[in-house]
Amino acid sequence: MKILVAEDDQLMMKMLEFRLRKDGHEVIITHDGREAVQKLDEFQPDLVITDIMMPYLSGLEVVSAVKKKYPTGTPVVILSGMGQENVVLEAFQLGADDYMTKPFSPNELSVRVRRFNMSAVK
Amino acid sequence: MSWQTFLLHLFTYGILLYSIILLVCYLLIGAFSIMETRAYLHKNSFTDYRMLAQSTETPSMSILAPAYNEGPTIIENVRSLLSLHYHNLEVIIINDGSKDDSLERLIEVYSLYKADYFINQCIKTKPVRGVYRSSNPVYRKLVVVDKENGGKADALNVGVNIAKSDYFVCIDADCVLEQDALLKLAKPFLEATTQRVIAAGGVVRIANSCEIEGGRLVKVNLPKQFLPKIQTLEYIRAFLLSRMAWTKLNGLLLISGAFGAFDREIVIACGGYSSKTVGEDMELVVRMRRYMEELEEPYKVAFIPDPLCWTEAPSTFRILGRQRNRWARGTIETLRSHKKMFFNPRYGILGMLSYPYWFFFEFLAPIIEFFGTLGLVYYCFKYAINWEAILIMAGVICLGILYSVFAIMMEVLTYHQYKQKREILHLVLVAILEPFVFHPFVVWSAVVGNFDLIRKHNSWGEMTRQGFAQNKQV
Amino acid sequence: MSGRLLTYLLKINWKVQDVALAAVVTLMTCLLVFMLVYMYIKSRREKKQDKWRMISDMLINKAIFYEDRDEIEDQIIASVMTAAQELIVNRHFRKFVAQELVSAKKNISGASADSLKQFYLQLGLDKYALRNLDSRQWYVRAEAIQELTIMHTDEFIGQLHIHTNDKNEYVRMEAQAAMVQFKGFEGLNFLDDIGYPLSNWQQIKLLQLLSLKPPSTISMDKWFKSTNNTVVIFALKLTRNYRRFELHDAITECLDHEDADVRYEAIRCLNEIYTDETSDHLIARFLQQGLKHQVAIARAMQNVGSKKDEMFLFDLLTHESDELKLHAARALANASQDGLLSLEQYSKESEEAIGQILMHIKGENAA
Repeated sequence: MKILVAEDDQLMMKMLEFRLRKDGHEVIITHDGREAVQKLDEFQPDLVITDIMMPYLSGLEVVSAVKKKYPTGTPVVILSGMGQENVVLEAFQLGADDYMTKPFSPNELSVRVRRFNMSAVK
Repeated sequence: MSWQTFLLHLFTYGILLYSIILLVCYLLIGAFSIMETRAYLHKNSFTDYRMLAQSTETPSMSILAPAYNEGPTIIENVRSLLSLHYHNLEVIIINDGSKDDSLERLIEVYSLYKADYFINQCIKTKPVRGVYRSSNPVYRKLVVVDKENGGKADALNVGVNIAKSDYFVCIDADCVLEQDALLKLAKPFLEATTQRVIAAGGVVRIANSCEIEGGRLVKVNLPKQFLPKIQTLEYIRAFLLSRMAWTKLNGLLLISGAFGAFDREIVIACGGYSSKTVGEDMELVVRMRRYMEELEEPYKVAFIPDPLCWTEAPSTFRILGRQRNRWARGTIETLRSHKKMFFNPRYGILGMLSYPYWFFFEFLAPIIEFFGTLGLVYYCFKYAINWEAILIMAGVICLGILYSVFAIMMEVLTYHQYKQKREILHLVLVAILEPFVFHPFVVWSAVVGNFDLIRKHNSWGEMTRQGFAQNKQV
Repeated sequence: MSGRLLTYLLKINWKVQDVALAAVVTLMTCLLVFMLVYMYIKSRREKKQDKWRMISDMLINKAIFYEDRDEIEDQIIASVMTAAQELIVNRHFRKFVAQELVSAKKNISGASADSLKQFYLQLGLDKYALRNLDSRQWYVRAEAIQELTIMHTDEFIGQLHIHTNDKNEYVRMEAQAAMVQFKGFEGLNFLDDIGYPLSNWQQIKLLQLLSLKPPSTISMDKWFKSTNNTVVIFALKLTRNYRRFELHDAITECLDHEDADVRYEAIRCLNEIYTDETSDHLIARFLQQGLKHQVAIARAMQNVGSKKDEMFLFDLLTHESDELKLHAARALANASQDGLLSLEQYSKESEEAIGQILMHIKGENAA
């Protein structure tokens, strides 16, 4: 599966990359919201994983950009340190498909991603 | 003893006394700055700002960005303001009667609509033409206000009226902020327990020659042009040494109009920014401090030394001259409207130390320097070369250079923004050149500013249209 | 005579000036040399850090995949460990690797986080942190506590607890955070006898830490009665965040607290936790409050107000403060189903100019 990851924290990005590559996914790395949106067309990812607080464009803007471009396909998973109810609600209202909070468990992420992969095959 | 010799001695000893006081000030500023900076850096080393960014319990903040004819850059700047890390944030752009298409551009890009809006006129301002909000939920933080032209102070007052937050941050629309700028600026307000923090100032750094992309700083470079380079040194000296030292004493008088946070409640209680002065940033802080002193409530003006705000500095002598002229006028106007505090023990440090320091070293210094040098040159031509006086002056200049080098060292030891050895050597070189090339010009502009102010009071005063570029006093 | 004396004095000054000038120039050179040497040392250390970073990256990498281990993996881990242990005597390396592990630990949870902690302990970094707890420098102590907290080394709870009332603000802040991190809501018992004020910053931090813990209904009576006002405020915030409806009476008692900030927080708290009597409590105290608190009450009325409070709210519409008017009008519009209608009616009949306020509220409701 082709996964586009948007995350501005270097270490966090490294950890995500380790894990997802090992699970056999192709990982496209972007360091901010704008880069993520720009690379959507170029790479046509099957899944987008994004942080919320990033330079240029926030993760929420990435969500609405993805949903605007691909109204039916390309699920978006949010991986953010903000776990408060209103933020989570806002993310889902904008069309996010899944929400994980930091600190996150890499194993859990791996399982959740696999679930999207299966539904894509179907 | 003839009157000429008497004058000569008076002159020589005057300069000597002045330079001794200056030396003492430099030493104290250096010492206090080291103490305050060390404490700040230690605190910062284990502060997790991400925690603050993620919390919904933070007090609300509004960014007030007045814009006058900023059309070409406004979209990018707003975008970068919207992406700042802070949860309870509101970004208020105040279009101060721009004559270009700024408003139309904003309406189009951010899908704005004109909202029915009741403005609570806590502070009297020029009329507001309309308040715009975005129909796109992603931009719910954005408020755009369109008003009649009234200058920077008036625009900021409209912003203060509209803001719904506990604190507001005023910035120049052309500034580039670091992503975590607001978190760092909010911290002093949150940490206060015994003293109320009424305002927090931030550092302004010079962005000329830096790589900026989409309203964001990508790489820091030392400016290549001479004037911005010298101003880089000037800003480092002002922010890392002087402001830090004054913060330690809790006597800070000036928060740069380009980047500072304020307690909205107190600003409203004081009546907001004054449109009667060209130095509204300094005037407001002085007025707020005075207000708190008169209430006899413990308070503090905080200062954050991290480089958080970057701005273009003037690169021609013409613009620089105008800027310094305005700063001089702003200083005098502020000092004049608060002259009651001059050596008034009722106002504590503010009255006994900060105000007199500004009076003698910010307001009088250029005048003394100007006429002192003039007198010396005259004497040397008319009578004989006065080696003693010249030597003392050389000493003062060397002292100034030493102070600059010390400032550069503080920068290297703390934030170290200029990584290359070449850049540091350039800064030192500039420090040596400054007293001969740059400083006389600055002094001259300040003297002209004084003169303009006196002249303006005799005539009707100029009624020029008010734009507000470069109003950031250092 | 005096002229002679003066020239004589000046002659001395001449030499003093010479010396002073030389001193200034020497000092300047010293500063310059110091600065250049400092920059050189720093750049050399940065080069060394590349190797260090490789080691710490390997450790983090291995921690993330700890569960799918085999012999080869084990060997790699062992060799990285030996390399790290050789360097551990170096103070700068210790600091570096601890920082890297800590920032990784902040971001991940589950089995991977456990193995990170295991590496941390294997390297003996906890011993060094423990040693730093007794440092004379407050920032060393504070940093050590923070490190141990994030690494979740809960076997040291006892050693950390004594620091919760430390003289230094930052040390006690970290120790308090440690208690909450290790024990969740139970960890808050340091509030029982805390002598220093709890800054707003610290309250935010504790609430943030608690939000990651399973909620629990601990008893807060003691804190509501605390003589430390900031503890009362914190208790109110907890009450509001965790919707502790059973504490409604304790909150209303705080409306009569002598401290203005406590009263303010109590009003904010009632915004979320209210019964049909709440508005009566607020209205009864309205006149005694300053404008800031009055505005807060008017704002709260939007949630707690109902039909029976309309009289009070209509009265507020004639108040001199525009802000109060706005909140009162908003409260009226939300007080009952036909609230907006009666507000419109009022706007037509009375001479009070609330047209713009009415438009504003309608705009809000539409958005």
